[in-house]
Amino acid sequence: MTTFPLPDLGEGLPDAEIVTWHVKEGDAVKVDQLMVSVETAKAIVEVPSPYEGIITKLHAAAGDVVGTGEPLVDFQLTGASAASAAPTAVQVESHAPQSGTVVGMMPVTGEIIEEHSLLRRTRHAVGDQVRAVPAARALARRLNVDLAQVSGSGKDGVITLDDVLAAAPLESPRRKVASAVEATVLGNRRHDDGAELLHGPRRAMAQSMSRSRDEIATCTVFDDADVHAWPEGTDITVRLIRSIAAAVKEEPGLNARFDPSGPSRILFDHIHLAVAVDSPEGLIVPVIRDIDKKSGAELRASVDHLRKSVRERSVAPEEMRGYTFTLSNFGTLAGRYATPLVVPPAVAILGTGRLQRDVVPTETGIEAHRRIPLSLTFDHRCITGGEACRFLAALIRDLGKSA
Amino acid sequence: MAQITMIEAITMAHAWELEHDPSVVLLGEDIGINGGVFRATAGLQQRFGSERVQDTPLAEGMIAGMCVGMAAQGLKPVAEIQFMGFIYPAIDQIVNHMSRMRNRTRGRMSCPVVIRTPHGGGIRSPEHHSESVEALFAHIPGIRVVCPSTPARAYGLLLAAIRDPDPVLFLEPVRIYRYAKQEVANDGKALPLDVCFLLREGTDVTIVTWGAMTVETLKAATQLAAEGISAEVIDLATISPIDSEAILESVARTGRLVIVHEAARNCGVGAEIAAIVAEQGLYDLQAPIQRVTGYDTVMPYFKLEHDYLPSVARIVDAVHATFVD
Repeated sequence: MTTFPLPDLGEGLPDAEIVTWHVKEGDAVKVDQLMVSVETAKAIVEVPSPYEGIITKLHAAAGDVVGTGEPLVDFQLTGASAASAAPTAVQVESHAPQSGTVVGMMPVTGEIIEEHSLLRRTRHAVGDQVRAVPAARALARRLNVDLAQVSGSGKDGVITLDDVLAAAPLESPRRKVASAVEATVLGNRRHDDGAELLHGPRRAMAQSMSRSRDEIATCTVFDDADVHAWPEGTDITVRLIRSIAAAVKEEPGLNARFDPSGPSRILFDHIHLAVAVDSPEGLIVPVIRDIDKKSGAELRASVDHLRKSVRERSVAPEEMRGYTFTLSNFGTLAGRYATPLVVPPAVAILGTGRLQRDVVPTETGIEAHRRIPLSLTFDHRCITGGEACRFLAALIRDLGKSA
Repeated sequence: MAQITMIEAITMAHAWELEHDPSVVLLGEDIGINGGVFRATAGLQQRFGSERVQDTPLAEGMIAGMCVGMAAQGLKPVAEIQFMGFIYPAIDQIVNHMSRMRNRTRGRMSCPVVIRTPHGGGIRSPEHHSESVEALFAHIPGIRVVCPSTPARAYGLLLAAIRDPDPVLFLEPVRIYRYAKQEVANDGKALPLDVCFLLREGTDVTIVTWGAMTVETLKAATQLAAEGISAEVIDLATISPIDSEAILESVARTGRLVIVHEAARNCGVGAEIAAIVAEQGLYDLQAPIQRVTGYDTVMPYFKLEHDYLPSVARIVDAVHATFVD
């Protein structure tokens, strides 16, 4: 028979109270099997069996206080415990701190750690792992591109968005969805598939027209200006510009800038007119400053300079900024009316068609008058229909003057 | 060579250094006559005397302050804070003096102190006995934060910590103090500080952890291996400064990173590791970084503590999450 005394549960606590017995007399127990829960001054502590054997006596009942070192359980040892020399009380004492706990329950497994190597970090050559910017990984997933097959053009061979797009099969339907977005983000690129990537004025037009379509509440109103009173040799362009200035004076709401985030608008005191000019490179829209302060001759000089600049491709970027109103005179080519698009943040654009003779009923009969077809597009978020029509009326009135 | 537990390895390291370096002094609450709340210093006062192994009053601020003074006078104090939750009164001395002695004296003096304290929960203890606030100290310049995960590393890293000329906060994972045994040679050989230890090599995912969470992490790695996922397990060991080179090198090979710690998530050390990899290894990542951590609340008592601690299942789930496109 072997007696197991209450072990030192730590901090030299003098005693402990039995909370629950998990075994009873006559039970066969194994090593480390939970035997009893005791409460010390600090916490509930679970005491496992140190032996394999049959429990022959419990020295205390639940609720009893047992002093450290006093008998707790008597065992009849079996198995490995019996085979080893019967432990003495002293040996039990020395065992106690091993599994003993102070606060709470200390897990003991007896597991042996076999670390074959206490490795510090080992250096490996970085293998064939794919390095890619995260957005390229995401795009590759969307386009079904295998990154392992893509060679990276970025720093240290990192795969970029461009690399993924270049590797994407053109016929992939997902590609089409993605490309509209990516094309505007990624800028000039060349594909091997024959498609021409747009750049310069054409690319700018694609962007500004998309933006116009996406942002502006477009409304276009059509009418004709009777210019029959004009003497022979009247400068059409200069007269159009002058009349725009006159119409703005009457209805300044169209010479403005609109900010939908406010929403807010700025009505300008100056009138800077953007004039759309067709060129082989695409649509170029330089600006004539302060049209209301320029004489007819100065306006003509400005228009000539502007056409020359476009021809020579010498329009500076700052010459295309700061416009407050736009004129698109397509009448020299063909077409009567159009629905020109306003480019934000401006709010209105005037399109003028071909000057031609129309049959006009007058009070005295039928006459053939020279007329200019007008198409005024305005941003209806910022400009009322009334403002637009008053503007158009003022324009027609001014154009109708003989000089 | 004996098979010993971590707590025995810590006692063994103390004894070795007391024997071989006369400037080493141990101090703390109940570490002398009693042998320490967890028996980390059992028998050492009897063997080396009460001048080398000193019992102190219950005053952590004073213990840390004494360490600063002893270190300034040429001793190498090794102090025990009974539980990490009791360290807060000592923070003033640790942060304002210990950690910045070298800087304050423009390098003329250093502060060779080791503060040892049990770390983490999982032993059914009451409040303040389960803290894992390593991030508080990792944030402080001038002090190392070290946390072993096996008896052999506890022995080797504690020796290194004592021999280091600068202060070290030595966190002892209480849950595995007696959890397992390991053969540890009592040869006085220190392990290097400031480097990670590779516990398991793998090719598909890197799992970084430290302290007691290495147990669950290695089990998770075994479980993952059974389903064909090869996990590399890194024991951070030195929590501050972080061996970022080793982590980045591993992530460059595996392309995935999971960080496991039992401390609360918010501003935990895992966040710092994730930031390092985001800054320097983003292009190697094939999936977002995952963290498996405790929750942003006080470590609960007894019944719920294993719900708080990251489990094998949670680690496995996090690894799976890195494989979802």
